[in-house]
Amino acid sequence: MQVADLNQIDLQALARGDKRSWDAFVGAAAPLINAMVRRALAPYGLGDEDVMDAAQDVFVRLCAQDFRLLKTYDPARAGLSTWLAVVARSAAIDHARRRRRPTQPIDEVPEAVLGVEDRHVEKLKIPQGLLTERQTLILKYLYDEEREVADIAQLLKVDPQTVRSTQHRALVRLRAYFREGTG
Amino acid sequence: MSTQRDDLPASDKELWRRLDVDGAVEVRPVDDMEFAAWIEGRLGEAEAARLEASVAADPEMRRAALDIADILGKPLPAAPERMAIRARALVGFEAKRKVARKGFGDWLLNWMAPSTLRPAAVTMAAIAIAAGGFTMGGGLGASFAQQDYEASGRQRVVSTSEASTDISEFFASDGI
Repeated sequence: MQVADLNQIDLQALARGDKRSWDAFVGAAAPLINAMVRRALAPYGLGDEDVMDAAQDVFVRLCAQDFRLLKTYDPARAGLSTWLAVVARSAAIDHARRRRRPTQPIDEVPEAVLGVEDRHVEKLKIPQGLLTERQTLILKYLYDEEREVADIAQLLKVDPQTVRSTQHRALVRLRAYFREGTG
Repeated sequence: MSTQRDDLPASDKELWRRLDVDGAVEVRPVDDMEFAAWIEGRLGEAEAARLEASVAADPEMRRAALDIADILGKPLPAAPERMAIRARALVGFEAKRKVARKGFGDWLLNWMAPSTLRPAAVTMAAIAIAAGGFTMGGGLGASFAQQDYEASGRQRVVSTSEASTDISEFFASDGI
């Protein structure tokens, strides 16, 4: 697994510009950067050449200006692979935004994107602190993005049952707030 | 004031979509290192809560978090060889150049670079080269000697021609 290889990289030698360390780093990081860039570019419908260019952008960012970005990595705060994935995704999104066509034929735009809500619906305000940040995040994942409980549980490193119970508690709290009233 | 509503949607999803949950949320910028630390679950409770508020309020960050967690949880396919070759080339050339620059000349230049000594050093070097060349050429003494030599050469040439004239006169006088 490449993550194990990444953990063996001598980061100090790498930041000094040591060629051997850089080559080893590229070998260990390329699969992760390739996978991350592919995933990030998938919704934009860009091809293999864009994946290559976006991946190269990631490596350029890492070594540019005497490895300035790489030197900001702090092993005490997060693993190198996680940090690299964050950097790679961010660079890939920037690449996609630069490459995005200024106009797109209307036939290629999904209907859901074109659909305009013509009915004005008054949003209900809820007081700050009614839901915890985690409850809000979980409900957004579940209802705004319609993600699977298992995916959310993997991200938050909790049991899927914990996600469901957090969702349940949040909804009970919301309904109680609106049904019971405050005044 | 009462918040009691009789028109609440029946389903949880509809209820959620009727809510203005982002109205009072203050979204603060999140740097890559902090985001990575949150994904790994390394932040303290208060710090994580602040970050989760930012992630909840930003659809792009929500997608990023799920994508990253998913990618990190899977075995990864090998990257195309061309990707690694291009990336390796980014540092090789620079490294070779740095190695090549580690000579005495480079050390001397680096030593002088931050100061105003460089023009003075160049001037001194020019004087030294000029003086060396002048000394190797013999200096003023050699110059005078050359002048003497040329003068005596001209004299010798004159005497030779004079001798030649004498011999001609000798043969002429003998009728040859």
